[in-house]
Amino acid sequence: MDRTTGKLLFAMAGALLATAAWAEEPIKIGIPVGLSGANSVVAPSVVQSAELAVEEINAAGGVLGRKLQLEIADDASGAAGAQKAFDSLVFQKEVNAIISMETSAARNAGLPIVAKGEVPFIYTSFYEGRSCSPNLYVNGWVPEQQVPPVVDYFVKKEGAKKFFLVGSDYAFGRGMLEFARTYLEKAGAQVVGEEYLPIEGTDWTAIISKLKSSGADALITSTAGGAPNVTLTKQLRGAGVKLPYGNLAVDEGTAKSMGPDAAGIYIAASYVTSIDSPANKKFLEAMQKKFSGELRTPNDLSVPQYEGVYLYKAAVEKADSTDTSAVLSALGEVSFAGPRGTVSMNKQHHAPLTMYLGQVQEDGSVKVVETFADVDPGTQCPNL
Amino acid sequence: MPESRLPNIRVWLLGALVVASLLMIAFGPTFLDRFALNVLSRSMIYAMLAVTVDLLWGYTGVLTFGQAAFFGIGAYATAMVLTHLGNSPELMLLAFALAILVPLVLGIVVGWLSFGYGTTPLYATVISLVLPIVVTQVAFSGGQWTGSSSGLVGYATLPLSLAGYFRLTGICLLAVAAAAWIFVRSDAGKVLVAIRDNEARCAYLGLNASRIKIVLTAVLAGVTGLAGFLFANASGVVAPENTGFVFGTELVIWTALGGRGTILGPVLGTIGIDYLSASLSGQLPFLWKLVVGALFVAMIILLPNGLAGLVGKILPRSKGARRGGGSLRLAQAMQAPQDVVDKPPLLAIHDLGKSYGSLNVLQGINLTVQPGELVSLVGPNGAGKTTLMRCLSDGTESISGSVSVRGANIAGLAPDAIVALGVGRKFQVASVFDSLTVAECLRMARAARHAPSLLHSSDELDLPSAAVEILKLTALDGMLDRPVSALSHGLKQSLELTMVVALEPQLILLDEPTAGLTKTERMTIGTILKKLTGELGLAAILVEHDLDFVREISSRIVVLHQGQLVLDGTVQDVVNSELVKAIYSGGAHD
Amino acid sequence: MTILLDVITTAAILFVVAAGLLAIFGVLKIINFAHGAWLTVGGYCAVATAGVGLNPWLALPVAFVVGSALGGITEVLVVRPLYRRPLDAILATWGLGIVIGQLITLWFGRDVQFTPNLLSGTINVFGIDYSFYRLFMILAALVVGLGFAVLLEGTRLGLSARAVIMNETLARGLGIDTAKVRLTTFMIGTGLTALAGVLLTPLTSVDPDMGLAWLIGAFMLVMVAGSSFGALAMACLVFGGAQTLVSTFVSPVLGGITVAVLCALVLRISPKGFARA
Repeated sequence: MDRTTGKLLFAMAGALLATAAWAEEPIKIGIPVGLSGANSVVAPSVVQSAELAVEEINAAGGVLGRKLQLEIADDASGAAGAQKAFDSLVFQKEVNAIISMETSAARNAGLPIVAKGEVPFIYTSFYEGRSCSPNLYVNGWVPEQQVPPVVDYFVKKEGAKKFFLVGSDYAFGRGMLEFARTYLEKAGAQVVGEEYLPIEGTDWTAIISKLKSSGADALITSTAGGAPNVTLTKQLRGAGVKLPYGNLAVDEGTAKSMGPDAAGIYIAASYVTSIDSPANKKFLEAMQKKFSGELRTPNDLSVPQYEGVYLYKAAVEKADSTDTSAVLSALGEVSFAGPRGTVSMNKQHHAPLTMYLGQVQEDGSVKVVETFADVDPGTQCPNL
Repeated sequence: MPESRLPNIRVWLLGALVVASLLMIAFGPTFLDRFALNVLSRSMIYAMLAVTVDLLWGYTGVLTFGQAAFFGIGAYATAMVLTHLGNSPELMLLAFALAILVPLVLGIVVGWLSFGYGTTPLYATVISLVLPIVVTQVAFSGGQWTGSSSGLVGYATLPLSLAGYFRLTGICLLAVAAAAWIFVRSDAGKVLVAIRDNEARCAYLGLNASRIKIVLTAVLAGVTGLAGFLFANASGVVAPENTGFVFGTELVIWTALGGRGTILGPVLGTIGIDYLSASLSGQLPFLWKLVVGALFVAMIILLPNGLAGLVGKILPRSKGARRGGGSLRLAQAMQAPQDVVDKPPLLAIHDLGKSYGSLNVLQGINLTVQPGELVSLVGPNGAGKTTLMRCLSDGTESISGSVSVRGANIAGLAPDAIVALGVGRKFQVASVFDSLTVAECLRMARAARHAPSLLHSSDELDLPSAAVEILKLTALDGMLDRPVSALSHGLKQSLELTMVVALEPQLILLDEPTAGLTKTERMTIGTILKKLTGELGLAAILVEHDLDFVREISSRIVVLHQGQLVLDGTVQDVVNSELVKAIYSGGAHD
Repeated sequence: MTILLDVITTAAILFVVAAGLLAIFGVLKIINFAHGAWLTVGGYCAVATAGVGLNPWLALPVAFVVGSALGGITEVLVVRPLYRRPLDAILATWGLGIVIGQLITLWFGRDVQFTPNLLSGTINVFGIDYSFYRLFMILAALVVGLGFAVLLEGTRLGLSARAVIMNETLARGLGIDTAKVRLTTFMIGTGLTALAGVLLTPLTSVDPDMGLAWLIGAFMLVMVAGSSFGALAMACLVFGGAQTLVSTFVSPVLGGITVAVLCALVLRISPKGFARA
């Protein structure tokens, strides 16, 4: 009852004071994100890291003397929800930029709105690649960056020659595995099977039986995040599959929820919590301090979000304004040294990234097995 | 409405609403911000879908989740043409045509699957669940053709501004809603309600309910496809979720909350909820869903007709504005069947048998009925009387032997086709349409002869003179605008009989027409039957337990016992028969 | 050989998942579209049981009790007013499923939850290593099926339930308290569904949507089976088998929609499905 009211009053007073302290209007950053739907598992961590970035930047004097302010909207992890969220952010809240991790469907739904509203859009999720728009910059990885570490490691260190590919039937699943197939064939390995299940499918029985009889000596999967990934892994372990298992879609949090079943899985990511660098340590400590009990484990989607805010700050400062065209041209030139190392979106609106090959341990943590510095995103948008 | 000299509050409200919508469409863009314009454009497209759901579910009683699939197909057809073939006015026209035609054709197939004769009402729902699942899977598996999970985006759309789309969708919604509004108030629209209330009765009034529902499904699929075309243009993106089962359930939820069976309710409900969810759900996505879900459950249980139903109860009814009590026009007297010589008998049953598994319900029945005869079918419970009536009126029953009406073998014919041969059937329990008025029920009986208007609600009621006479005898003629649900049991029986007579049949099958009636009512029915057969030359077959009644009115009595025809003779023959006495005292077992 | 085991175990899983829905549909003629939500409730019972440190197998009785208690409340508040409106009952229970899903989300969060495995590893049958747990599901299906057979054939409740299935008016006339039969049946059906939810945890992810994926399949199988557990077993074998075969020899994507499409076609050809009236 009154405690809530008190809090509210306090917050309002704080806001008033803050408004008084900052002479100019804040710069608004819109975050459409899947608070409900498939992405709702990772969305809170993404919001948290953005909040930390904004807090740090504001504490250090803001951007061009202006405060940063977040506007968050639920995109329900899909196209219809994204339309509502982008409409609301771009036209109602009139944000200066969109920085967000989303599903591909949500991103695609947002692109026409971003174009109509003339707003820069930094996309911070890994994805299947080749989404090109003058307004869009990407600082997450694409197949060209993620698949080679896994394949190279399996071929060289595990001596794998026959690969079996399993995915969910959707753009990311197919995109990743198609690239993997080409890359494998180029590397001289053989693909002995490539199978997909509908994205909502729960029964992997037939695929697992095929895998077992295929004589494969390594497995690469690219399912939809969350449920399908867990379902597949549980059923694989239940069927006693113990092949080297590269999972292109698992994050540390999901791996933890699978318990012992996840142990041994290889993942390739541009971020794992165990990266041993001062920047990462500082970031993790700040997150722990700000959110303590509420903290959601930072991951390969939330950290690019954190860096995305800083990249936008750098671009605004370089352009010396929030003018969209000026910021868009600056975004391709600036860089930021964050938890993942130094990131710059200078390759056709995409970013070369340092990739880490990790293996999930019994306790759910990820141990870095090998590091691949500055992996190039390849040809993504030759026309930009 | 034209004659109404006393404009009532409903008409005023409706007129005000139309004017307000037109003003909103015209001037909305001048004061609404971009956000509102964008969201409302989409909400109005969804509202068009809700109208189609309302016509199918609210009016016709077909619970469907499948509109989402037709919508998605329309949207994908548009987006695929514009993405893969390019952009030109001709291609836009092609996209427009395909967006309507593809769902339309699929609608025919789905309708045929859903409403084949003998399928259960639930089956249409089953199909409507499978359809979006299949379509969504196709969208996911379509690779670059459909854009898989990412959908299609970045194609050229109609060159309209935000305000332009707002006005376009507004006009389309207004047109669709107005068309639906006019249609459901027309005589043809009442057929939908009749089908919802009592599909069997429709069939036995000669209406092919399956075909009507198939046509309705197909047309509405086309309208839905049009909405898909608008959506693909207005939003600039099409994704699998637009075509999925969950979206289909949302459409039903919006329709239910707004008020099914009201057209207006679903429109306002959809716009209201979709707009609110766009504005609110960002803050509280789970709580919002929880509230909508809980509201939906409560609404279904407590207020099945939604908010509009509640409003409708509060507002006074527009009583008698359209249908004056005395606007009856008599049609020419029914023609008695022509001379009987040279013609095959009206009804010829040859060696009819019917069994369920190893149980023989009917065996070796031979019977011929000529015009003018009033044949009573008597026998104890379980003798097979009702089964025999069913075999005479539904050719899809599997039987042995043959049944011919006016020389035509009825094997394989659905009830509505047999009605067309001149057979009318009255059921044991009064089978009428509870949501309609007396006049509307009678009009249903004429619908197979004179296609009802899609636009008007007629002020006249064309009935054969025999039917008019029954109305007068039973005093129903003064209750024409009374809702059927308010009639007494006896009056419902009389109404059903009038409906059957209004079919202008040559043979009437009556299953215990006097059950539960008072003595006077029974007398009236008896008089009517005698008149129909004696004066007008119809034939009637009557199943009856009341032997006194039978004796009084029959020209011939047939006794059925354990599935076999044991006696066929005049009233005298039967009344004096020892066998009949034995049967009724329960002694005879051959 | 593997494929034979795949077919049988897939059928067994489908049977366990659909049994609760069938119990309710068979007696009450009501389709419980909140079926998926009860599976989810079962899954979260497993999470909660493990959370307080109990033996994972204890989740089975816990889920049955929780599921049937919730079912009892639901029958009285939601389903009872709708027996005469079966299509509305579908909608009301679907809405209820949304409510339950959101309550679970608000309580436990959206995340995938950890559940300990009931049984792990493989055993060697006929020369192949096969998932021990999947084989166990055959046993579970048999227990559920036989349990129902005993319940229906051997108890007073079963007798009353069969009477209600055949002719409800007559049953009431014979002094059977049909309201009580319905309540009890609904509670058993939902309890069983929650129990099935626990049994699913080693095979699927536990999250607020876990049950939804099984709903349509279970619904279709029950439509084909009518009110008979024998017919359900048969339907699970035929359609589960078809799903496995299509997945193996054609494409798992087609396999995923096999059950729904085939059931719809069977119902078109024979509206009574596998049920012999």
